Amino acid sequence: MTRVHDMGGRFGDGPVRPEPEDALRFAEDWHARALAVTLASGALGQWNIDRSRHAREKLAPQDYARFSYYEKWLAGLADLLVETGVLSTDDLAGAGVDGPHQLADRVLTPENVAAALARGGPADRDSAVPVRFKPGDRVRTRARAGNARVPGGHTRLPTYAQGALGTVLRVHGSHVLPDSAAHGLGEAPEPLYAVALPATALWQAPEHGGDEVVLDLWQSYLDPAP
Amino acid sequence: MVVCTLCSCYPWPLLGIPPGWYKSDAYRARAVREPRAVLAEFGVTLPETARAGLGFDGRDPLSRPARCAPGGPRAWSPMRWPRWSPATAMIGTGLPRERGAS
Repeated sequence: MTRVHDMGGRFGDGPVRPEPEDALRFAEDWHARALAVTLASGALGQWNIDRSRHAREKLAPQDYARFSYYEKWLAGLADLLVETGVLSTDDLAGAGVDGPHQLADRVLTPENVAAALARGGPADRDSAVPVRFKPGDRVRTRARAGNARVPGGHTRLPTYAQGALGTVLRVHGSHVLPDSAAHGLGEAPEPLYAVALPATALWQAPEHGGDEVVLDLWQSYLDPAP
Repeated sequence: MVVCTLCSCYPWPLLGIPPGWYKSDAYRARAVREPRAVLAEFGVTLPETARAGLGFDGRDPLSRPARCAPGGPRAWSPMRWPRWSPATAMIGTGLPRERGAS
Protein backbone atom coordinates (compact mmCIF):
# COMPACT_ATOMS: atom_id res chain seq x y z
CA MET A 1 0.00 0.00 0.00
CA THR A 2 1.04 3.57 -0.49
CA ARG A 3 -1.09 6.28 1.12
CA VAL A 4 -4.45 8.01 1.19
CA HIS A 5 -3.68 10.20 -1.83
CA ASP A 6 -3.32 7.13 -4.07
CA MET A 7 -6.97 7.10 -5.13
CA GLY A 8 -6.87 6.13 -8.81
CA GLY A 9 -9.65 3.63 -9.53
CA ARG A 10 -11.35 4.06 -6.16
CA PHE A 11 -15.11 3.52 -6.00
CA GLY A 12 -17.71 5.70 -4.30
CA ASP A 13 -16.75 9.28 -5.12
CA GLY A 14 -19.89 10.24 -7.04
CA PRO A 15 -20.12 12.43 -10.13
CA VAL A 16 -17.53 14.91 -11.39
CA ARG A 17 -19.13 18.36 -11.35
CA PRO A 18 -17.72 20.51 -14.16
CA GLU A 19 -17.88 24.24 -13.58
CA PRO A 20 -18.40 26.81 -16.38
CA GLU A 21 -15.29 27.65 -18.42
CA ASP A 22 -15.33 31.20 -17.12
CA ALA A 23 -15.61 30.16 -13.47
CA LEU A 24 -13.14 31.83 -11.16
CA ARG A 25 -10.02 29.74 -10.81
CA PHE A 26 -9.73 30.73 -7.15
CA ALA A 27 -12.98 29.97 -5.39
CA GLU A 28 -11.86 31.92 -2.31
CA ASP A 29 -9.47 34.85 -1.99
CA TRP A 30 -7.27 32.95 0.43
CA HIS A 31 -6.68 30.22 -2.15
CA ALA A 32 -4.60 32.64 -4.21
CA ARG A 33 -2.65 33.58 -1.08
CA ALA A 34 -2.11 29.91 -0.22
CA LEU A 35 -0.68 29.34 -3.70
CA ALA A 36 1.52 32.42 -3.43
CA VAL A 37 2.85 31.54 0.03
CA THR A 38 3.60 28.01 -1.10
CA LEU A 39 5.50 29.19 -4.20
CA ALA A 40 7.38 31.82 -2.23
CA SER A 41 8.34 29.28 0.43
CA GLY A 42 9.52 26.83 -2.22
CA ALA A 43 11.77 29.57 -3.61
CA LEU A 44 13.70 29.50 -0.32
CA GLY A 45 15.34 26.36 -1.71
CA GLN A 46 14.93 24.20 1.39
CA TRP A 47 13.09 21.33 -0.34
CA ASN A 48 12.35 19.95 -3.79
CA ILE A 49 9.00 19.29 -5.50
CA ASP A 50 9.04 15.60 -4.60
CA ARG A 51 9.42 16.34 -0.91
CA SER A 52 6.61 18.92 -1.06
CA ARG A 53 4.30 16.40 -2.76
CA HIS A 54 5.17 13.84 -0.08
CA ALA A 55 4.42 16.41 2.64
CA ARG A 56 0.84 16.61 1.36
CA GLU A 57 0.35 12.89 0.83
CA LYS A 58 1.60 11.99 4.30
CA LEU A 59 -1.02 14.08 6.02
CA ALA A 60 -3.18 11.92 8.30
CA PRO A 61 -5.83 10.18 6.19
CA GLN A 62 -8.58 11.82 8.22
CA ASP A 63 -7.13 15.26 7.48
CA TYR A 64 -6.42 14.49 3.82
CA ALA A 65 -10.05 13.46 3.31
CA ARG A 66 -11.61 16.49 4.98
CA PHE A 67 -9.21 19.20 3.81
CA SER A 68 -9.87 21.12 0.63
CA TYR A 69 -7.12 21.26 -1.99
CA TYR A 70 -5.46 24.41 -0.66
CA GLU A 71 -5.92 23.34 2.95
CA LYS A 72 -3.79 20.32 2.06
CA TRP A 73 -1.22 22.67 0.55
CA LEU A 74 -1.05 24.80 3.67
CA ALA A 75 -0.94 21.81 6.01
CA GLY A 76 1.88 20.24 3.99
CA LEU A 77 3.70 23.57 3.89
CA ALA A 78 3.43 24.06 7.65
CA ASP A 79 4.93 20.61 8.20
CA LEU A 80 7.74 21.30 5.73
CA LEU A 81 8.61 24.65 7.28
CA VAL A 82 8.96 23.05 10.70
CA GLU A 83 10.72 19.87 9.50
CA THR A 84 13.36 21.93 7.71
CA GLY A 85 13.79 24.36 10.58
CA VAL A 86 12.70 27.39 8.58
CA LEU A 87 10.06 28.11 11.22
CA SER A 88 9.27 26.72 14.65
CA THR A 89 5.87 25.69 15.89
CA ASP A 90 6.06 28.82 18.08
CA ASP A 91 6.54 30.90 14.93
CA LEU A 92 3.48 29.30 13.35
CA ALA A 93 1.48 29.99 16.51
CA GLY A 94 2.47 33.66 16.39
CA ALA A 95 4.70 33.34 19.44
CA GLY A 96 8.07 33.32 17.70
CA VAL A 97 10.90 35.80 18.00
CA ASP A 98 10.71 38.78 15.66
CA GLY A 99 13.73 39.86 13.69
CA PRO A 100 15.41 39.23 10.36
CA HIS A 101 15.22 35.59 9.28
CA GLN A 102 18.39 33.80 8.24
CA LEU A 103 16.83 33.15 4.82
CA ALA A 104 15.68 36.74 4.36
CA ASP A 105 18.13 37.28 1.51
CA ARG A 106 16.43 34.51 -0.48
CA VAL A 107 13.00 36.14 -0.42
CA LEU A 108 11.09 35.91 -3.71
CA THR A 109 10.21 39.49 -4.55
CA PRO A 110 7.29 40.37 -6.84
CA GLU A 111 9.46 41.45 -9.76
CA ASN A 112 11.16 38.04 -9.79
CA VAL A 113 8.03 35.89 -9.69
CA ALA A 114 7.41 35.68 -13.44
CA ALA A 115 11.01 34.71 -14.19
CA ALA A 116 11.00 32.08 -11.43
CA LEU A 117 7.81 30.54 -12.78
CA ALA A 118 9.17 30.61 -16.33
CA ARG A 119 12.30 28.76 -15.21
CA GLY A 120 10.14 26.05 -13.69
CA GLY A 121 11.84 23.04 -12.19
CA PRO A 122 13.25 20.86 -14.94
CA ALA A 123 13.87 17.30 -13.71
CA ASP A 124 15.75 15.89 -16.72
CA ARG A 125 19.33 14.96 -15.85
CA ASP A 126 22.30 13.11 -17.24
CA SER A 127 22.41 9.59 -15.85
CA ALA A 128 24.85 6.69 -15.78
CA VAL A 129 21.95 4.22 -15.63
CA PRO A 130 21.77 2.39 -18.98
CA VAL A 131 18.48 2.61 -20.88
CA ARG A 132 16.95 -0.84 -20.56
CA PHE A 133 13.82 -0.60 -22.73
CA LYS A 134 12.85 0.76 -26.14
CA PRO A 135 9.48 1.62 -27.66
CA GLY A 136 7.46 -1.51 -28.30
CA ASP A 137 9.04 -3.51 -25.47
CA ARG A 138 6.68 -5.43 -23.22
CA VAL A 139 7.12 -4.63 -19.53
CA ARG A 140 5.52 -5.47 -16.22
CA THR A 141 5.20 -2.94 -13.42
CA ARG A 142 6.49 -3.84 -9.98
CA ALA A 143 4.22 -6.20 -8.06
CA ARG A 144 4.08 -3.79 -5.09
CA ALA A 145 3.64 -0.11 -5.82
CA GLY A 146 5.15 1.40 -2.66
CA ASN A 147 8.52 3.11 -2.35
CA ALA A 148 11.11 0.32 -2.53
CA ARG A 149 13.50 1.96 -0.06
CA VAL A 150 11.35 3.95 2.35
CA PRO A 151 8.24 2.30 3.82
CA GLY A 152 5.32 4.63 3.26
CA GLY A 153 7.58 6.82 1.14
CA HIS A 154 6.90 8.79 -2.00
CA THR A 155 6.47 7.04 -5.34
CA ARG A 156 4.89 7.78 -8.71
CA LEU A 157 3.75 4.22 -9.35
CA PRO A 158 0.06 4.21 -8.38
CA THR A 159 -1.32 1.15 -6.61
CA TYR A 160 -3.90 0.54 -9.33
CA ALA A 161 -1.05 0.07 -11.82
CA GLN A 162 1.04 -2.39 -9.79
CA GLY A 163 1.87 -5.77 -11.33
CA ALA A 164 0.38 -4.83 -14.72
CA LEU A 165 1.59 -5.82 -18.18
CA GLY A 166 2.09 -2.98 -20.64
CA THR A 167 4.05 -1.67 -23.61
CA VAL A 168 6.71 1.05 -23.73
CA LEU A 169 5.59 3.89 -26.01
CA ARG A 170 8.41 6.36 -25.59
CA VAL A 171 11.69 6.96 -23.79
CA HIS A 172 11.66 10.39 -22.15
CA GLY A 173 15.36 10.43 -21.27
CA SER A 174 16.61 10.34 -17.68
CA HIS A 175 14.87 12.19 -14.86
CA VAL A 176 15.21 12.69 -11.12
CA LEU A 177 13.74 9.66 -9.30
CA PRO A 178 11.02 11.02 -6.99
CA ASP A 179 11.23 7.97 -4.71
CA SER A 180 14.79 9.01 -3.84
CA ALA A 181 14.69 12.80 -4.08
CA ALA A 182 11.64 13.10 -1.81
CA HIS A 183 13.61 11.58 1.06
CA GLY A 184 16.95 13.34 0.82
CA LEU A 185 18.54 10.26 -0.77
CA GLY A 186 19.85 12.08 -3.82
CA GLU A 187 18.41 12.73 -7.26
CA ALA A 188 19.33 9.23 -8.54
CA PRO A 189 18.26 10.04 -12.12
CA GLU A 190 17.24 7.10 -14.27
CA PRO A 191 15.36 6.54 -17.55
CA LEU A 192 11.69 7.49 -17.64
CA TYR A 193 9.18 5.94 -20.03
CA ALA A 194 5.64 6.46 -21.25
CA VAL A 195 4.04 3.04 -20.77
CA ALA A 196 0.62 2.01 -22.13
CA LEU A 197 -1.36 -0.23 -19.78
CA PRO A 198 -4.54 -1.67 -21.31
CA ALA A 199 -7.71 -1.25 -19.25
CA THR A 200 -8.04 -5.03 -19.34
CA ALA A 201 -4.76 -5.31 -17.39
CA LEU A 202 -5.90 -2.88 -14.69
CA TRP A 203 -9.55 -3.40 -13.84
CA GLN A 204 -11.75 -6.28 -12.83
CA ALA A 205 -14.53 -4.95 -15.06
CA PRO A 206 -13.01 -2.63 -17.70
CA GLU A 207 -15.41 0.01 -18.97
CA HIS A 208 -14.22 -0.56 -22.55
CA GLY A 209 -11.80 -3.26 -23.65
CA GLY A 210 -9.93 -1.03 -26.11
CA ASP A 211 -9.08 1.76 -23.67
CA GLU A 212 -5.73 2.22 -22.01
CA VAL A 213 -3.94 4.27 -19.38
CA VAL A 214 -0.61 5.80 -20.38
CA LEU A 215 1.63 6.39 -17.38
CA ASP A 216 5.05 7.98 -17.12
CA LEU A 217 7.05 5.38 -15.17
CA TRP A 218 10.67 5.24 -14.02
CA GLN A 219 12.86 2.34 -15.08
CA SER A 220 13.12 0.87 -11.56
CA TYR A 221 9.32 0.47 -11.54
CA LEU A 222 9.55 -1.91 -14.49
CA ASP A 223 10.70 -5.43 -15.31
CA PRO A 224 10.91 -7.04 -18.75
CA ALA A 225 7.89 -9.14 -19.69
CA PRO A 226 7.68 -11.91 -22.29
CA MET B 1 -7.66 12.73 -21.27
CA VAL B 2 -5.14 13.90 -18.73
CA VAL B 3 -5.40 13.10 -15.03
CA CYS B 4 -3.09 13.00 -12.05
CA THR B 5 -4.54 10.48 -9.63
CA LEU B 6 -1.75 11.06 -7.09
CA CYS B 7 -1.56 14.83 -6.60
CA SER B 8 -3.62 16.71 -9.26
CA CYS B 9 -0.42 18.03 -10.85
CA TYR B 10 -1.16 20.21 -13.88
CA PRO B 11 0.88 22.16 -16.45
CA TRP B 12 0.02 25.61 -15.16
CA PRO B 13 2.76 27.55 -16.94
CA LEU B 14 0.90 26.49 -20.10
CA LEU B 15 -2.73 26.34 -19.04
CA GLY B 16 -3.05 28.45 -15.92
CA ILE B 17 -4.62 27.42 -12.63
CA PRO B 18 -6.57 24.17 -13.02
CA PRO B 19 -10.36 24.05 -12.83
CA GLY B 20 -11.75 22.88 -9.50
CA TRP B 21 -13.10 19.60 -10.88
CA TYR B 22 -9.62 18.60 -12.08
CA LYS B 23 -8.51 18.56 -8.43
CA SER B 24 -11.58 16.77 -7.12
CA ASP B 25 -11.43 13.29 -5.61
CA ALA B 26 -14.15 12.17 -8.02
CA TYR B 27 -12.10 13.06 -11.12
CA ARG B 28 -8.83 11.72 -9.70
CA ALA B 29 -10.42 8.45 -8.59
CA ARG B 30 -12.67 7.75 -11.57
CA ALA B 31 -11.00 9.10 -14.73
CA VAL B 32 -8.61 6.15 -15.03
CA ARG B 33 -11.21 3.43 -14.38
CA GLU B 34 -14.29 4.80 -16.14
CA PRO B 35 -13.19 7.58 -18.51
CA ARG B 36 -16.29 7.27 -20.68
CA ALA B 37 -18.65 7.73 -17.75
CA VAL B 38 -16.65 10.77 -16.65
CA LEU B 39 -16.68 12.22 -20.18
CA ALA B 40 -20.46 11.80 -20.28
CA GLU B 41 -20.64 14.06 -17.22
CA PHE B 42 -18.96 16.71 -19.41
CA GLY B 43 -21.49 16.11 -22.18
CA VAL B 44 -18.97 14.24 -24.35
CA THR B 45 -19.97 10.86 -25.72
CA LEU B 46 -17.24 8.73 -27.25
CA PRO B 47 -18.22 6.31 -30.00
CA GLU B 48 -17.61 2.65 -29.26
CA THR B 49 -14.92 2.64 -31.93
CA ALA B 50 -12.91 5.47 -30.33
CA ARG B 51 -10.03 4.58 -28.09
CA ALA B 52 -9.90 6.43 -24.81
CA GLY B 53 -6.32 7.11 -23.78
CA LEU B 54 -5.58 8.29 -20.26
CA GLY B 55 -2.53 10.25 -19.39
CA PHE B 56 0.15 11.51 -21.71
CA ASP B 57 -0.23 10.12 -25.23
CA GLY B 58 3.36 9.31 -26.06
CA ARG B 59 2.58 8.44 -29.65
CA ASP B 60 1.17 11.80 -30.53
CA PRO B 61 2.20 14.33 -27.90
CA LEU B 62 0.65 17.76 -27.88
CA SER B 63 -0.80 17.48 -31.37
CA ARG B 64 -3.77 15.46 -30.16
CA PRO B 65 -6.08 18.38 -29.42
CA ALA B 66 -5.03 20.06 -32.67
CA ARG B 67 -6.43 17.35 -34.88
CA CYS B 68 -10.00 18.42 -34.30
CA ALA B 69 -9.37 22.14 -33.85
CA PRO B 70 -11.27 24.79 -35.80
CA GLY B 71 -9.49 25.40 -39.09
CA GLY B 72 -7.63 22.12 -38.87
CA PRO B 73 -4.19 21.44 -37.48
CA ARG B 74 -2.43 24.03 -39.65
CA ALA B 75 -4.42 26.84 -38.11
CA TRP B 76 -3.42 25.73 -34.71
CA SER B 77 -0.06 26.27 -33.16
CA PRO B 78 0.87 25.91 -29.51
CA MET B 79 1.25 29.67 -29.31
CA ARG B 80 -2.47 30.01 -29.93
CA TRP B 81 -3.65 27.44 -27.42
CA PRO B 82 -4.84 29.91 -24.85
CA ARG B 83 -7.07 31.56 -27.44
CA TRP B 84 -8.36 28.49 -29.15
CA SER B 85 -8.86 26.08 -26.44
CA PRO B 86 -10.76 25.97 -23.20
CA ALA B 87 -9.01 24.02 -20.46
CA THR B 88 -11.40 21.13 -20.97
CA ALA B 89 -10.08 20.60 -24.51
CA MET B 90 -6.47 20.63 -23.36
CA ILE B 91 -7.22 18.22 -20.53
CA GLY B 92 -9.29 16.14 -22.90
CA THR B 93 -12.71 16.32 -21.29
CA GLY B 94 -14.09 18.59 -24.03
CA LEU B 95 -13.58 19.25 -27.73
CA PRO B 96 -11.47 22.17 -29.03
CA ARG B 97 -13.34 25.27 -30.15
CA GLU B 98 -12.60 28.95 -30.33
CA ARG B 99 -12.98 30.48 -26.91
CA GLY B 100 -16.35 32.17 -26.67
CA ALA B 101 -17.87 30.15 -29.54
CA SER B 102 -20.56 27.69 -28.59
